[in-house]
Amino acid sequence: MIHLSNVSRHFRRGPDVIKALDRVTLEIQAGRFVALMGPSGSGKSTLLNILSGIDRADEGEVEVAGQRLTGLSEDELAVWRARHVGLVFQFYNLMPVLSACENVELPLLLTDLSRPERRRRAELALEVVGLMRERFEHLPGALSGGEQQRVAIARAIVTDPDLIVADEPTGDLDARSADQVLALLSELNREFEKTIVLVTHDPRALRWVQAIYHLDKGSLLEGVEATRATQAVEQTLGVPPRSAAR
Amino acid sequence: MGYLTLVRRNLRRNRLRTALTAASITLSIFLVCAVLSLPSGFTAIHDRLAAGTRFLVHNKAGITYLMPYGSLQQIRAVPGGTAATSFSRFGGVYDEPKNLFPNFSVDAETVGDIWPDFQISPQAIADFRRYRDAALVGYQTMRTFHWKVGDRVTLRSTVWPVQLDFRIVGELPEPHGNPMWFLFSRTYLEEAVRAKGLSAEQAGMIWVRVADPADVPPVMRRIDDLFRNSDAETASETEKSFFESFMSSLSGLTNVILAVGFLVVVAVVFITANTCSMAIRERAAEIAMLKALGFRRSVILGLLLAETLALAIGGGAVGAFGAYGVLKLLAALGATGARPGLGPLSMFLVTPWHVVEGIGLSLLVGVVAGVFPSWGAARKPVAEALREVF
Repeated sequence: MIHLSNVSRHFRRGPDVIKALDRVTLEIQAGRFVALMGPSGSGKSTLLNILSGIDRADEGEVEVAGQRLTGLSEDELAVWRARHVGLVFQFYNLMPVLSACENVELPLLLTDLSRPERRRRAELALEVVGLMRERFEHLPGALSGGEQQRVAIARAIVTDPDLIVADEPTGDLDARSADQVLALLSELNREFEKTIVLVTHDPRALRWVQAIYHLDKGSLLEGVEATRATQAVEQTLGVPPRSAAR
Repeated sequence: MGYLTLVRRNLRRNRLRTALTAASITLSIFLVCAVLSLPSGFTAIHDRLAAGTRFLVHNKAGITYLMPYGSLQQIRAVPGGTAATSFSRFGGVYDEPKNLFPNFSVDAETVGDIWPDFQISPQAIADFRRYRDAALVGYQTMRTFHWKVGDRVTLRSTVWPVQLDFRIVGELPEPHGNPMWFLFSRTYLEEAVRAKGLSAEQAGMIWVRVADPADVPPVMRRIDDLFRNSDAETASETEKSFFESFMSSLSGLTNVILAVGFLVVVAVVFITANTCSMAIRERAAEIAMLKALGFRRSVILGLLLAETLALAIGGGAVGAFGAYGVLKLLAALGATGARPGLGPLSMFLVTPWHVVEGIGLSLLVGVVAGVFPSWGAARKPVAEALREVF
């Protein structure tokens, strides 16, 4: 599903060149629910952006859902994202002037679906994420954080994408809402076999994901380092140790 | 939900700002449409007033300089002319100083010959000749002061130290008569002025009528030749050129007004561009999110530009149709005489073409004001946009 080979991404900040990603090689099978973890500035979000077609690698090869992303133009990437990727952000990023249902309908504007069909699919997606029907017409401002994140997840799945990427989806939620959102993502993975890549600092994610990839200073940790990082997270949660993805 | 819903909702996001921006566009387009009506209004006035077989003789030094009254007899003797009358400003005000309108002394016996195109009733012309204090009044002035035939009115001159009582014997009727003029007999004025120990044996201007438009140039030439090297040399000009020169004195003012209108529109472009920039900056996160969802740059540009265009065209249409309606209303009010001083406004009409021009201009305002901030937001790569806001 996701193949990254020696991917590097550099940012220029004044005279300095910052290596956000340094020759990262990664393979994620379809239908997996994985987490990218690491300290701030480790390159998690950059990696997420590259594998979701939001950003482009300076070096290396990126292939996602059978599409080689390297070399695609900005507009070609946009079209590809609209078809293959569902995005969930930390701060939901719902349009405040649109109702919950209209927000979910938004990505469907890029399809050829009729207006009633778009509406039907948006309502279905909201039902899948468990938003109460009476909340469908509420503006985001009238919804709780957890509800807004459910709407954001519904927006991410409404186009039936191959890949769902979530950048800190629990970062702005209380513990209960965060658990519900993680459970929902896990359910989408299990029930609908969606490939989900989650960037998070939240150790609770460990309970739901099938694998964790640790990043530090732009590099993917492997072997003993990766195992230690995973164990550190498990200790935070007070659960028995298990192995990291690498 | 469709794209239009998205545009509409975004416009309603900050209603006060949207309303104020639209209002600024409305006012500027209103102003432009009103200003656009000036040249055609002046032309309409000119076309309405000018006749092809009448011309005017005045002192070569200018129309404010007088001529000896005796010049009239010499002009009447010039071959080709069929009638001539003196035409001197009285500067009379009615009741209050603000009620100033064009009133002139004329030679009573020639009025019907000089202005046959006014279609004054024969009875009125006969009464005008019969009564020394008779007055013929333009239909607009009649309505303005709620006068009617048979009324007696008093005018106080600002030129002569006299106050004269008049009896209105007839109207310069609509639509052919001059709407504003108040004409009365020169002999009546002469008597009053003489009683004050002064003399009114002068003429401000002299109107001459000929039988055929082709006679106008040779007769004008003969008259000017007649007075060449005299104390009061004359300058003859056709009624049309007289009004044209009068209008051309206003054209400078018209140009200034047009320039001001244009500058107002430019200012509104800047205001609208600034408003668009602010609105787009405030929504940077949403725009970045739309790009992340897969909205292409052209779609983002279209959505943002559609908002500005809807605002501009909406405001512009209200301004253009508002100008059309308001000037039409003023024209109707002026025609009824309900509002003194509105009379000439009946000539200034915003045409449907002016409305089209106004809406076209508002479209241009929208494009110019919206394209740069919208393009700036649309072309930014999605990763860069996301990094800036998250």
